[in-house]
Amino acid sequence: MIDRTNYDRIEIPEHLDEVVQDAIAEGLTRRRRNRVAGLLKRTGSIAAMFMLCLITLLNLSPTFAAAACELPAVGGFCRVFLFREYRMEDEIKYVDVKLPNIANTGKGELEVRVNQEIQKKMYDCLAESEARAKEYYDAFVETGGDPKDFTPVGITIDYETKYIGQDRVSFVVSQYESRFDAYNCDLYYNIDLESGKILTLKDYFGTNYREIIADSIETTIAGWSAEQRSILWEDLSIVDLISENTDFYFNQDGQVVIVVPKYEAAYGAAGSLEFTIQTPEG
Amino acid sequence: MGTAQELVIFVENNQERFYKVAYTYVKNREDALDIVHNAIVKALQSYHRLKKPDYAQTWFYRILINESVSFLRKKKRILSLEEIPSLQSCSDTSGSELHKDEYIDLYTAIDKLPPEMKTIIILRFFEDMKLDEVAEITSTNLSTVKSRLYRALKYLKVDMEGLEYDR
Repeated sequence: MIDRTNYDRIEIPEHLDEVVQDAIAEGLTRRRRNRVAGLLKRTGSIAAMFMLCLITLLNLSPTFAAAACELPAVGGFCRVFLFREYRMEDEIKYVDVKLPNIANTGKGELEVRVNQEIQKKMYDCLAESEARAKEYYDAFVETGGDPKDFTPVGITIDYETKYIGQDRVSFVVSQYESRFDAYNCDLYYNIDLESGKILTLKDYFGTNYREIIADSIETTIAGWSAEQRSILWEDLSIVDLISENTDFYFNQDGQVVIVVPKYEAAYGAAGSLEFTIQTPEG
Repeated sequence: MGTAQELVIFVENNQERFYKVAYTYVKNREDALDIVHNAIVKALQSYHRLKKPDYAQTWFYRILINESVSFLRKKKRILSLEEIPSLQSCSDTSGSELHKDEYIDLYTAIDKLPPEMKTIIILRFFEDMKLDEVAEITSTNLSTVKSRLYRALKYLKVDMEGLEYDR
């Protein structure tokens, strides 16, 4: 007979629960950090410094909050919480989708519109990803690969909340594919909760927004070393990079951060660049 | 199990079991807590790379056991499995064969086993798993598990007739 008494009697430390919760939090946030660390390698060092600041922000990641299924409300006014999780798997792909939902803004119509918009964009993204996975699979099989050996393409759609305030909310929806790094896409959303509109740079900075933003970016770049500047295209015109469609978000401090996609301002190896905009008013 | 959230729930609901498994390897509270902590962090970090989320529980045990075994390896110079036949038999059984009606304190006895055998005893007898589950977790085939278990019990001088060891 096996005597399990000693095993059953192993004393459980009081702080086991605490250790486990701590590990869960670390595991969920560190995955974010890895993602950011990957970005750090690809971005210039100034951008890298900025990304480091972001890490703090990312600790507030909705993925972490997903365990509790909602993000802490700011003043109880606006919440972004896990809206829909969708998973599926077949021989070609495995898909993991988390879509955010805007709720409790006090503006039901806005919520519905924004949520529909996000859903539509993300489903378009997903359809593209699925088509690419299928192409990849077909190519694999046609070139003599055994379908059994095919490693399914991972498709992940996730989101991060960048800023939640009484007046506005800012978040990014990201799409990743395990095989197609170049196909990653990020969609930035900034919503003015007063008017219920999607905020544009023009709304925020006024009609001179292009000049204001370009001035700030140029000041930032002027502070770079020659080496840092060497990643930029030689004939780069900052002001031409800025348009109504330029991606941006609000950081933790509520400042505008401009996102310049890969290849637009610098060599591909530099990845996308981010610039925090300093306005004359601060 | 499909999502990271479900993995979190699984971990929370079974944290005491995980602690006991880790503790049985290292017999030290702080070390066992470290192992549980590291296993959870690693699992959540790499969860998105798991091809078959349905096997997440087995996979989590595998991480926990790898963490425990590599902790032991780092901590001491543990004998590898191949060295076992040359070892002296368990001394505290006083050389006498134990019989099925006698109680065997496996919990203490396994301290003398190398990690591979320890794992099998813990999973089979303490965690009450089936041998095919043990094979799955240890990434070995069933016959390897059976032979390791047989050798472990023989080494511990356990009378195997009384044990449903090959369930």
